[in-house]
Amino acid sequence: MDKLLDIINEMREEAGNNTIEALASSMDLREDLHLDSLMLAELTVRLEDEFDVDIFEDGIVQTIGEIIVKIEGK
Amino acid sequence: MEKAFLVHNEVVYTYEKLLAVLSNKENYSSYLYVKDNHPYEVFLAIIHSLLFDYPIELLDGDFSEKEIGELGLHVKDVLMITKMAEPSHFIHFDEILQKIQAIEKWHITLYTSGTTGRPKKVSHSFQSITRNVKKHTKLENDVWAYAYNPTHMAGLQVFFQALLNQNTLIYVFGEPMKWVPELIEKYGVTNISATSTFYRNVLPYLQEDIYSTIKRVTFGGEKFDTVLEGKLKSIFPNAKMTNVYASTEAGSLFAAQGDTFEIREEHLQFVKITTEQELCIHESLLRQSNSLVSNDMWFHTGDLIEMIDETHFKFLSRRSDMINVGGYKVNPLEVEHLLIQVPGVIDILVKSKKNSVTGELLVADVIKNDEVDEKELKKEIKQFATTHLQEWKVPRIIKFVDKLPSTRTGKKVRK
Repeated sequence: MDKLLDIINEMREEAGNNTIEALASSMDLREDLHLDSLMLAELTVRLEDEFDVDIFEDGIVQTIGEIIVKIEGK
Repeated sequence: MEKAFLVHNEVVYTYEKLLAVLSNKENYSSYLYVKDNHPYEVFLAIIHSLLFDYPIELLDGDFSEKEIGELGLHVKDVLMITKMAEPSHFIHFDEILQKIQAIEKWHITLYTSGTTGRPKKVSHSFQSITRNVKKHTKLENDVWAYAYNPTHMAGLQVFFQALLNQNTLIYVFGEPMKWVPELIEKYGVTNISATSTFYRNVLPYLQEDIYSTIKRVTFGGEKFDTVLEGKLKSIFPNAKMTNVYASTEAGSLFAAQGDTFEIREEHLQFVKITTEQELCIHESLLRQSNSLVSNDMWFHTGDLIEMIDETHFKFLSRRSDMINVGGYKVNPLEVEHLLIQVPGVIDILVKSKKNSVTGELLVADVIKNDEVDEKELKKEIKQFATTHLQEWKVPRIIKFVDKLPSTRTGKKVRK
């Protein structure tokens, strides 16, 4: 979860946004974190570089919790 | 002082020595496959083939044995040499030029460097390969910074231009960039012909000074970069800048001032543009090339262009370079052209990264100035991109690198 937070914050920072304090499993990627499809694509690529897993490989991922499951279940 | 033919790696090869070596050469090969493309050996072999009027096939010395095999050749055949029947003696360079006038059988074969697919074989006659060579007494003292691979088309164009005017070539291709300023000054270089990538990478070593001996700067092989042109103008205040459109298949065809190419009147009927904006060249402008021209006799260049009026066009991108981000087509050259203006960026390569959300996504490899902080620069590049470009054209992930990969001809590799 910490690594995921780092990655999301790195993205936010580079894009000139504020960083966030903490992530929660229930957070919705689109609703709560306001990620659009380009940002999701960016997140996917960054996560794939780090964890070698494609989180969107088999469909739609909605929440932080679902990402964690993908990363841990690889 | 004896006029130099070539300076390579601190060794000066004079025209006198060239004549002596040509006179005493005991054997030859109809293939040219020289390790590291050692320029003296490459040039010597080409001149020899011209003198004795036999066809020559150029293989890039960087080809591996496997690649040679893929061209349908065997290394042992390629390396086979033939003994010269009898020696000749050349005393004056003019004898060489005269003999060249009389050639009949000679042609030169080379392979396209195509970043995708198998290299294609293309042959040129002396007339077609030297179509744009200008020979004039006022060009006799030109000194060329030679910044191309000598076994490819652009390099050959410069070689013939220099040879036929008996000029001096200062070899700078693949040499450390930091040597370039000293070489320009020491040998009084008057002409440089190179890719934009070369100029961008040598710029940090040149920008402290002004080089007044340079009278012509030629760009080739890549999209013209007007920002770069501006920077070079301040370093080379006496230089005229030209941009050349050339390809292995057609040789050098169009020249431009700035980024607008002119189609010469006699070529007009041999040039057309498809509905997808691809430039096509009629086979009559190509020479003796195999398997290039489709049934309709038009060769599709793979270059996307924009017509300005009936005789002028601008180069947009390579067809194969276009990137599809979530259904939006992006020309990576457009993005590079913009982002190279961000202070601290020396060179930038924008390429595609596959992903399951948008299919492709733009990422960038950047060579940066040593003084700039990585994190800050990443922010500035993205900020600049966001301000000036549609959002799908913004490179999402930026990596800093020391060197950008380039093809054997010195163009950037985008894959």
